[in-house]
Amino acid sequence: MKAIKFAAVVLSAVMMFTACGKTNNSTVAVITREDGSGTRSTFTEMFEITAKGDDGTVTDNTTLEATVANQTEVVITNVSGNKNAIGYISLGSLNDTVKAVNIDGVSADTTNVKSGEYKAAREFFIATQKSDVRNQISEDFINFILSAEGQAVVGKSYITVSDNAAPYAGEKPAGKITVAGSSSVYPVMEKLKEAYLAVNPNAEIEIQMSDSSSGLSNATEGLCDIAMSSRKLKDAELEKLDPTTIAIDAIVVIVNKENEVSNLTSDEINGIFTGKITDWSVTRQD
Amino acid sequence: MSKKLDTLMRVIFTLSAVISILAVTLICVFLAANAFPALREIGVLKFLFGRSWKPSDIPPAYGVFPMILGSLYVTAGAVIIGVPIGVLTAVFLAKCCPKRLYKLIKPGVDLLAGIPSVVYGFFGMAILLPLFGGSIISASILLGIMILPTVIGLSEAALRAVPESYYEGALALGAGHYRATFAAVLPAAKSGIFAAVILGIGRAIGETMAVIMVAGNQARIPNSIFQGVRTLTSNIVLEMGYAEGLHRQALIATGLVLFVFILIINLSFQALKNRSKK
Repeated sequence: MKAIKFAAVVLSAVMMFTACGKTNNSTVAVITREDGSGTRSTFTEMFEITAKGDDGTVTDNTTLEATVANQTEVVITNVSGNKNAIGYISLGSLNDTVKAVNIDGVSADTTNVKSGEYKAAREFFIATQKSDVRNQISEDFINFILSAEGQAVVGKSYITVSDNAAPYAGEKPAGKITVAGSSSVYPVMEKLKEAYLAVNPNAEIEIQMSDSSSGLSNATEGLCDIAMSSRKLKDAELEKLDPTTIAIDAIVVIVNKENEVSNLTSDEINGIFTGKITDWSVTRQD
Repeated sequence: MSKKLDTLMRVIFTLSAVISILAVTLICVFLAANAFPALREIGVLKFLFGRSWKPSDIPPAYGVFPMILGSLYVTAGAVIIGVPIGVLTAVFLAKCCPKRLYKLIKPGVDLLAGIPSVVYGFFGMAILLPLFGGSIISASILLGIMILPTVIGLSEAALRAVPESYYEGALALGAGHYRATFAAVLPAAKSGIFAAVILGIGRAIGETMAVIMVAGNQARIPNSIFQGVRTLTSNIVLEMGYAEGLHRQALIATGLVLFVFILIINLSFQALKNRSKK
């Protein structure tokens, strides 16, 4: 009996000790996304965490100590649960359980992203084959996406391309098209499709989710009518395809709400995610 | 008429049996066909003992050694935490539990087995992450809880299978209740309890969802139990969504490594069962 009591006391002491240990130190807990994620590759390229050598080598220098989360929600939960955590997510997924930091003094809001002042922004593209005879229905769908109605759908989770788009005035043609590509663009495309079918019930749209590269190559080969891409088109792709920007997404760097840090420079972000900066005290201005 | 029905039913039964064997064979063939090209391209030794996993780099690195260690560490932790609690619970249930309490504990343990692993994962994220962060210790505690039903159920059955005369004989020789239980009954149920532990290990090493949520998933060899690890299973699930080409095949080869582990575990389970029959 005594032994059990002793064990219980020791165990709770150990637990309290570790709990205190975690709150008192200020070692940065870095949270990243899994290898291959579009958000990760965009983020690591923007802040030059991925190093490109002259000989064609590419090295992702994200610190090996970073916790790997395979979903945006998991990043948010991890950051909201740990005072010293830092992570990055799409602006569309930001909620008030975490705090977004300013980057180089610029806050991640719609105005700054649109003006280009906020650094960590990326565009969502669609692309169609270059051709004189354009598919009537895919043209109409694209017009809808860029119209006031379509941009209103985009604006619910991302940033619109233009504020004063003209209302949709299509002829509502009948037919079927296939849209394929990026899994990041997929959710907003799904909503755009719903909204479009509500105004044009004659159309039929099939959306296939894969990734930007395979969507673009499908469009080049004529396997789909519209490609979705979360990255800029490469030169070889631009020879065959016409890109259109349909939405702007920003990547925000998030920290715990209790964290006093509200601004980080690009260099600091690079340092934190490559593991050169491991303590919050380095970044605190006071 | 009835003879025809007999034949028909026999065919149906045979077919059902064949389907499950076919499924196992197909999985083996799929794993081998997809994993071997990758193993050849990467090199078996480089794959198994490489310490760096960087699939997106050019040139990429595919070494699963940190993940093999990760799986072993986490499983060992689960055994250290889960087995003593599980076996002692089984002793309590089989030997000294009042009937009323048994009616409460037994369904509780069974319910523990039925909770989906994602729910365990959420529990871990809410309770363990704030205490220990994403680390070996978090994953071990969570897996230790998850293997409890397996360990308790099989150990209890093994203890109950020990003839009552062992216990009574020990009492007759002057042993008390606990001494009789621990010195006579428990050793007699040894092989059954080992089997329970092995099945528990199998459950722990194959668990994915809950582990991903609490283990931190860093693909490097950890230095302490308060650091995170990536297991073989989480490596596959984390990256399968985006992987293509060699990366995808390397993940399937990771699955092959896991498959070999499970095979070893099952074979030792069979060997133990055969030995206890003799």
